[in-house]
Amino acid sequence: MATQHSRAAARIMIAPSVVLLLAWMLIPLGMTLYFSFLRYNLLMPGNNPFVGFENYAYFVTDPAFQAAIVNTLLLVGGILLITVVGGIGLAVLLDQPMWGTGIVRIMVISPFFVMPTVSALVWKNMFMNPVNGLFAYIADVLGMQPFDFLTQAPLASIIGIVSWQWLPFATLILLTAMQSLDSEQLEAAEMDGASAWSRFYHIKLPHLSRAITVVILIQTIFLLSIFAEILVTTNGGPGTASTNLTYLVYAESLLRFDVGTGSAGGVIAIILANIVAIFLMRMIGKNLDA
Amino acid sequence: MARAVTTKTKAINTAIAWTIAILIFFPILWTILTSFKTEGTAIADPPVFLFFDWTLDNYATVQERSNYFRHFMNSVVISVGSTVIGLIIAIPAAWAMAFVPGRQTKNVLMWMLSTKMLPPVGVLVPLYLIFRDWGLLDTRIGLIIVLTLINLPIIVWMLYTYFREIPNDILEAARMDGATLRSEVIYVLLPMAVPGIASTLLLNIILAWNEAFWTLNLTAANAAPLTAFIASYSSPEGLFYAKLSAASTMAIAPILIMGWFSQKQLVRGLTFGAVK
Repeated sequence: MATQHSRAAARIMIAPSVVLLLAWMLIPLGMTLYFSFLRYNLLMPGNNPFVGFENYAYFVTDPAFQAAIVNTLLLVGGILLITVVGGIGLAVLLDQPMWGTGIVRIMVISPFFVMPTVSALVWKNMFMNPVNGLFAYIADVLGMQPFDFLTQAPLASIIGIVSWQWLPFATLILLTAMQSLDSEQLEAAEMDGASAWSRFYHIKLPHLSRAITVVILIQTIFLLSIFAEILVTTNGGPGTASTNLTYLVYAESLLRFDVGTGSAGGVIAIILANIVAIFLMRMIGKNLDA
Repeated sequence: MARAVTTKTKAINTAIAWTIAILIFFPILWTILTSFKTEGTAIADPPVFLFFDWTLDNYATVQERSNYFRHFMNSVVISVGSTVIGLIIAIPAAWAMAFVPGRQTKNVLMWMLSTKMLPPVGVLVPLYLIFRDWGLLDTRIGLIIVLTLINLPIIVWMLYTYFREIPNDILEAARMDGATLRSEVIYVLLPMAVPGIASTLLLNIILAWNEAFWTLNLTAANAAPLTAFIASYSSPEGLFYAKLSAASTMAIAPILIMGWFSQKQLVRGLTFGAVK
């Protein structure tokens, strides 16, 4: 029913969003790209000469870069594994009949609403602290040596903290998907004598596959950019033991004030994120046609 | 049709689910409890759970020493401000795309989404420099601008998925009955759109409240919202668990409660309508 007139009006209504996002995207992105080819350090004022791919070469050959890539992959992979497997388990559990479903749900999803700096500091101090933390107390009761989590296993500890924040997200989405499953199908399977496991494996899991993919892709986008949790717990250390790509770029740019190298790192981070984004966009785009 | 479930199965499910849920919720509960302890009790060995002398001192101390209220208001102004501005920009766009879809609508939507995939660190340097040169560092207005822009794609998308569900038939029926465009919008469209707009508002405030990359990098003492303020507790002096807990409890309480009410919208908003 759209007329010529309403189309023109529609364009005007859409324009502000498009123009703003276009500017938001192109201007900083263009600047990052431009800076990445300059020798540009805020501590050394000069004429910022063009140096080609020097910054990229420097950034990529820095041992910290290799560590950061490995750490980024371990962080994303570890958290995905815990949250997706745990999320499936919790979704199956919460889908069962029980008393107090509402309260259980509220408790399970709560960590998602805790701001990253709070959850990181609470875990760091009140749980993982080797002297006063609850874990140290539990170790003591069990007759074990307290473990200094963030010094001895910084990356694993951060994986634990961030998994706690994201497990609710995976659970909530998988539970929502689970509840759209036709219960008659399950009843039929049950009447035919299918065991609980085969009902899970042959009916529930395939039904969830789409939602699982969505969870993996969306979480990956966010997890590639983990920052606050690292900043307040370990500052990327000890050494580079818990430095991810995001943190490394931050350190180059705002701690060492090396704009050129930081920008080159930023471009690399964009390329990595885009590889994931392409898959995610395809999935969402398909859904739009449906 | 509910399947027949024995009371025993239900009891076992309940026991397992409650145990796991309490374990997951425990860090939050522990933080809330600790906020009412004295610093000495907070690190008592063995830890005390409920039976201690409850005190509100920490809340008072946190306010006195660091002007907590200022940071709290920063969070409120920044998250609500960026959300409201985002809605004002996004409502017409989502409206037009839902009711007057053109050939390019889908492409525009997908492109907007792609801007959300940009890792923030990729534009950290230029944004920091722009902010420095324009005097926007450590200002509320600077953060409102950034948070409006990073969340705009989510707002447009969420609104679009809601608006698209408003049946066109109703609009046509109203037109047949002789409704003018004005009354069509006010009496027919708006009431149907309000729940969608409210959900979007809620979810976006939550996201903006907890945003911790730009708030940490672009603010200092002045405009720091709670995310950045709490980070200053990472290098503590002396006993501070109870004070950290009090500051944390106040920082998460409002958003936790809002979050409980927005479970459904959260799924839709964060999956861009891919899971409803």
